[in-house]
Amino acid sequence: MMSLYAIQLECLISIWGILILLVDAFKPIPNKRTVGYLAAGFVAVALLYSFAMQPVPDTFFHGMFRLDPFALYFKRLFLLALAAVLLMAAEFSPRIESGVAEFYALLMFCAVGMLLIASVNDFILLFVSLELVTITFYVLASYLRRQIPSLEAGTKYLILGALSSGFTVYGIAYIFGTTGTTNFDKLAEILNSQTGPPASAFIFGMLLVLTGLGFKIASVPFQVWAPDVYQGAPTPVTAFLAVGSKAAGFALLLRVLYTGLLPVSLSWNALIAVLAGATLLYGNLGAIPQHNIKRLLGYSSIGHAGYMLMGVAAVNALGAGAVLFYLGQYAFTNLCAFLAIIAVTAATGSDEIPSFSGLGKRSPILGLALFLSMMSLAGIPPLSGFFGKFQLFAAVVQRAQTDSKYYVLAAIGAVAVVISLYFYLGVGRAIYLQEAEDATPIVVSKPMRFGLVVCMVAMIGIGIFQRPLVHASIMAAKVFSLH
Amino acid sequence: MKDLYLNQYLFVVVFLLVAVAFPLLPLAIAWLLAPHRPAATKNDTYECGLTSKGDAWVQFRVGYYIYALVYVIFAVETVFLYPWAVAFGGMPFGGFLAMMVFVLLLVEGLVYAWAKGALDWK
Repeated sequence: MMSLYAIQLECLISIWGILILLVDAFKPIPNKRTVGYLAAGFVAVALLYSFAMQPVPDTFFHGMFRLDPFALYFKRLFLLALAAVLLMAAEFSPRIESGVAEFYALLMFCAVGMLLIASVNDFILLFVSLELVTITFYVLASYLRRQIPSLEAGTKYLILGALSSGFTVYGIAYIFGTTGTTNFDKLAEILNSQTGPPASAFIFGMLLVLTGLGFKIASVPFQVWAPDVYQGAPTPVTAFLAVGSKAAGFALLLRVLYTGLLPVSLSWNALIAVLAGATLLYGNLGAIPQHNIKRLLGYSSIGHAGYMLMGVAAVNALGAGAVLFYLGQYAFTNLCAFLAIIAVTAATGSDEIPSFSGLGKRSPILGLALFLSMMSLAGIPPLSGFFGKFQLFAAVVQRAQTDSKYYVLAAIGAVAVVISLYFYLGVGRAIYLQEAEDATPIVVSKPMRFGLVVCMVAMIGIGIFQRPLVHASIMAAKVFSLH
Repeated sequence: MKDLYLNQYLFVVVFLLVAVAFPLLPLAIAWLLAPHRPAATKNDTYECGLTSKGDAWVQFRVGYYIYALVYVIFAVETVFLYPWAVAFGGMPFGGFLAMMVFVLLLVEGLVYAWAKGALDWK
């Protein structure tokens, strides 16, 4: 019964997804928007309920599954993302030709995979849940199947995703082959008891697993898919990729590096630091010439993966907590941006940046929401993005006290922040300083308004009263034995 | 220790060599020993003793793929059911329940496909 307690959120969301599928198959509901709002409301209730759940120190399913503070933190994050993405999907539903109910259900099944990822404590569960997420994303990315960009996005994601899954499972095979276990706790024990450097086959396996996870978080050199897929996929899917899939990738990266492989990854920080620097520069420089907002956010998401990798590379408790905090505030910020983009594209039918000109006049709430989220992404105080970056830099600087090479990483991060100001402010300029060709006001539906207000309040609230989220992220990061 | 570990792969190499040689060897022997007298009937496509008509590259109806997909799901299900059935004797109630949930999920898929008209041949 305890194991059922542990997977209750996963069960709830899957049952709800299956119900949507079956009800729609037998008695199609004419108003698909209402279904989306209902689903979003249900997930919001599940999110509230998850705050009543308590972490459990034991593992479940023969040590495969954990319900520690870290898992709960990520489960809440994924439920939040799912609720907002379902709201977006409801707004987006008129543009989906057929299978709207399936679209909602697939989003929910995808989220079930993410909920499992939050609790992964074994390489087998890691692979299964990762595949659940990735395979649903293949379908979701190509959902507008009569539109070439969507098909292109789906195909690219399929080919690269399948390849990276292959790398992951190949790496797992090597790790299992050299240590005889797939369980993270046992792995850490074995690695701790070993004297001398680990076998080269083990290192090879670890590199392959990192390759697969690098694809998930879109870190250099596995980042090329991100801009194309972000641009072509239906916007709610892009939002889920940017918030959910990225957080899932980091959840796995932290778990793998800081529990199972901690004895080895302590000496691997240089590799991750180099990746972080390269990812920072690639994402922020690549975003400069973009004129499509989804593509811009694709590059920006690569850049943000770089910031968070800085925290991972620091390999200290401050860094792990900072990554968690960053993911939390990044979810609100990015969801706010995508909510606004969906409302605008529903009215204008274009997601080129010029079509956002004069948005401040056409719809003050959309203009403000998009502007605030861009400023938060750029890291301007008092918004939440600033404090997120502050913590990540603090972690790197703390590390630099003992290893002065880390000052270089901090410097690269600072340069990246300056570069990013340029293109984020470019969007802001379009919103407030440029005149719209078509100045008809944009109507924003009530649920959408609610979502936007929640995200904006969270962005400003977290930026000013950082304490609750900092506390939550530090508690979650305590599951790792870092200093 | 390390050499010993790699030595285990020797079996794989030997296995691979045998696996390649096993089908090739009879073919090679037949090619060396058999007399070569080709004729029109001998070179004809063999299809259960019947005279073959037309080209093998005919187009199949794309509608087959849904049947194939539904079939594959249930074919894979048996792969999971088999070891479960073998271990059934010493299994706690949870094991029974888990498999029932699994089967019900697959049935749900079939019901969904059926309701959507995937099994109507048009």
